[in-house]
Amino acid sequence: MTTVPKTTNNARGVAPSLWRRLSLLLRKLYARPISAIGTTITLLFILAAILGPLIAPYGENEIIASEARQPPSPVHWFGTDNLGRDVFSRVILGAREILVLAGVGTLLAVVFGTIFGLLAGYSGGWLDEGIMRTFDSLLALPALLLALLLLGTVGQSQYSVLIVIVIVYIPIVARVVRSVVLAVKPQGFVEAARLTGESQPRILFREIMPFVYPTLSVESAVRFSYAIFLIGSLGFLRVGVQPPSPNWGLMVKEARPFASLVPWALFFPAAAISLVVIGVNLMADGLKRIMS
Amino acid sequence: MFTQYRRASKKRIFLFLVFFISLAFLIQACSGIPDTPTTPSAGMERQGVLRVAMQPIVQTDPAFISSDPEVIVANSIYDYLVDVTPQNTIAPRLAREWTVSEDGKTYVFTLVENATFHDGTLFKAEDVVWTFNRLRDPDVDSPTKDLYSNIENIEASDKFEVTFTLREPNPFFLYDISDNHALILKAESSEPGSDFIGTGPFKMVSYSPEDRLVVEANDDYFVADRPGLEKVEFIFFNDQTAQTEALRSGQVDLVMLLSADLFRTLEDEPGLIPLQVATNSFDVVRLRSDRPPGDDPRLMQALRLATDRQAIYDLVLQGYGAVGRDTPIGPMYSQYYSEDAQLPERDIPAARQLLANAGYPDGIDLELYTPDTGNRPNLAVVLKDQWAEAGINVDVIVEPESVYYGDDGWLTVDLGITGWGSRPYPQFYLNTMLTCDAIWNESHFCDSEFDQLASLAGTTMNEQERVDAYNHIQELLIERGPIMVPYFFSQLGAISDKFADFQMKPFPGRSDLSTVRLADQ
Repeated sequence: MTTVPKTTNNARGVAPSLWRRLSLLLRKLYARPISAIGTTITLLFILAAILGPLIAPYGENEIIASEARQPPSPVHWFGTDNLGRDVFSRVILGAREILVLAGVGTLLAVVFGTIFGLLAGYSGGWLDEGIMRTFDSLLALPALLLALLLLGTVGQSQYSVLIVIVIVYIPIVARVVRSVVLAVKPQGFVEAARLTGESQPRILFREIMPFVYPTLSVESAVRFSYAIFLIGSLGFLRVGVQPPSPNWGLMVKEARPFASLVPWALFFPAAAISLVVIGVNLMADGLKRIMS
Repeated sequence: MFTQYRRASKKRIFLFLVFFISLAFLIQACSGIPDTPTTPSAGMERQGVLRVAMQPIVQTDPAFISSDPEVIVANSIYDYLVDVTPQNTIAPRLAREWTVSEDGKTYVFTLVENATFHDGTLFKAEDVVWTFNRLRDPDVDSPTKDLYSNIENIEASDKFEVTFTLREPNPFFLYDISDNHALILKAESSEPGSDFIGTGPFKMVSYSPEDRLVVEANDDYFVADRPGLEKVEFIFFNDQTAQTEALRSGQVDLVMLLSADLFRTLEDEPGLIPLQVATNSFDVVRLRSDRPPGDDPRLMQALRLATDRQAIYDLVLQGYGAVGRDTPIGPMYSQYYSEDAQLPERDIPAARQLLANAGYPDGIDLELYTPDTGNRPNLAVVLKDQWAEAGINVDVIVEPESVYYGDDGWLTVDLGITGWGSRPYPQFYLNTMLTCDAIWNESHFCDSEFDQLASLAGTTMNEQERVDAYNHIQELLIERGPIMVPYFFSQLGAISDKFADFQMKPFPGRSDLSTVRLADQ
């Protein structure tokens, strides 16, 4: 075991541990009330996604025939739906699917989008034209329409929804990254690195990438919230999801015909979508202030 | 600085959007905004005008109509030879009376002599002959051509008498000639879809597609004191919630084909009379019996034992209908329906034991297909929960109705839920769904004893023999049939209490508007 000094010297080379960076970030986010609220909401939903089955008092498709269509009460916090399922449990259990799908989808879109953006921005010329015009044509279609088109062709399952999120968001991320690259590329240190014979991947990831991170982190958070919204909308259209999945969008759709009799079965999943989207956005807002 | 500001305001706009879209979801769900302009209010003169809210119609030629709205419009302008009552019996209409020959092959109908078409011509036997020849003409290609293929000859045996000769005896022939399409047209009509010349209680006034269709009383109608109304306006709505709202706010007077949840919201509404009629419409859960896993009858028995029918009835139908007994012969056919055979009670250990005996000691995984309409997705979800207790794990696959029925997928899948409409007699289900060569034999069931019984019931002219055959069929299906019929659903509707004497029928489009009149104030 090598002895590591308690106070790490951050001046050069040694990166602070991920944990320390996170706690620093959190402290900064909690410094402002708005972003503190957003972060709290987001963290609560993430907690629900992780601990869902432990928190939820009932199963996602557990039907209690004798307790159908009951208003919110101490037993059923969010009431029960038209088939006698506990709405609170379904909202909690629905968090995992939607957050994991949105999270993984965003992550993949950001990784691939960044690679395409770096390549297009740095190399310019025909490669830039080729990538960006292709992406422009994808961006010309509204996200939901593109998603419906893709799901119609690749078949409907959770994986297709994931693929759709990735395809829909790659062009947007690539665009943002490319614009940062274009601003950094003419600067002297990039030229210097090239002249000293550094390889292209090294220039892209070691020299240019650090300037992309701040924009990218904000962009990721925004994409994440859009992805949640997209999954909810697709669920509402009953695309790429099958009952009795506790997808919030699907829950809203299923509760709609009963809206006047069992309004709580519609309100809580709808509120969950709004709340998590608003929470992530407020957090992204705070993130942007910290980064700039 | 500028970009900073712009990005922030974009974010704010986005947040607003999220808020408004969620709000829109809620508002959309909680209220129905009628999408048709309201009737011009005509004050007190409006009395005697019945306004019916319904889905837009497409077909106006009686030989091709199918939906309830299309049938109710045609049923006001034209007449049937004989009609089916709300109690499912045969009643005279343009045919005053009829006789059946001993061998069940010749039917002679005596027609009313005082009926005239809306253009003034007298109604005669030739009109009936022309209409039925058109309905069975392969070149016209009406959906009725197979139904009437058993007719050998139709003849005007007198000015007001028609004789039908059949190839084989058909005890249900009177129901067949009261088929939805069999409305009597004027002989040699050149444009049956647009000239609207019938003998019916109402005459066409105006039809603007997608908006409304207006008919007025036929003063020369052959039935005394009918119709009781001055006018009927059929107002088209695409959305059921909007129809309900229009009824509640007094913009329309009659809504039918309601879903249970919308019906519940209207039940206690002052000024409205709720309408409910038992039908033989049902959803069937069927398992393919000609290949594994369904070729082992123990699997179907295990499904039966794992199902709680009462809970399904309470949750899915909310009490509007009847609990089913796994045969298509429902309580509406009171003369044929039987509760003699014992339907097994729910018994999870027994279901597990059967599964283990059939070679699935650790349970079985199945895919349950269902169209996305009506109560079917809810039924699938409840079954998933109930069956899971017995180790039967199903993945529910809800498909758009056009996909489920398209490409004959519904005839191919192993486990599926299919909706069947109400018919006036049960033989239809046996012949099209369960006999070896039935065209819609979705469960690929083939049982020689069943076929013999079905054929006997469908041809004998002896009513007691038929009753016995149907009883036997019900026992047989409960014992080894490939289907589960968890419930029969009721038709639901509501009418304003300003009107009286309206009787909704199991096929709501066949309800008779000529009996309706203003209520005594």
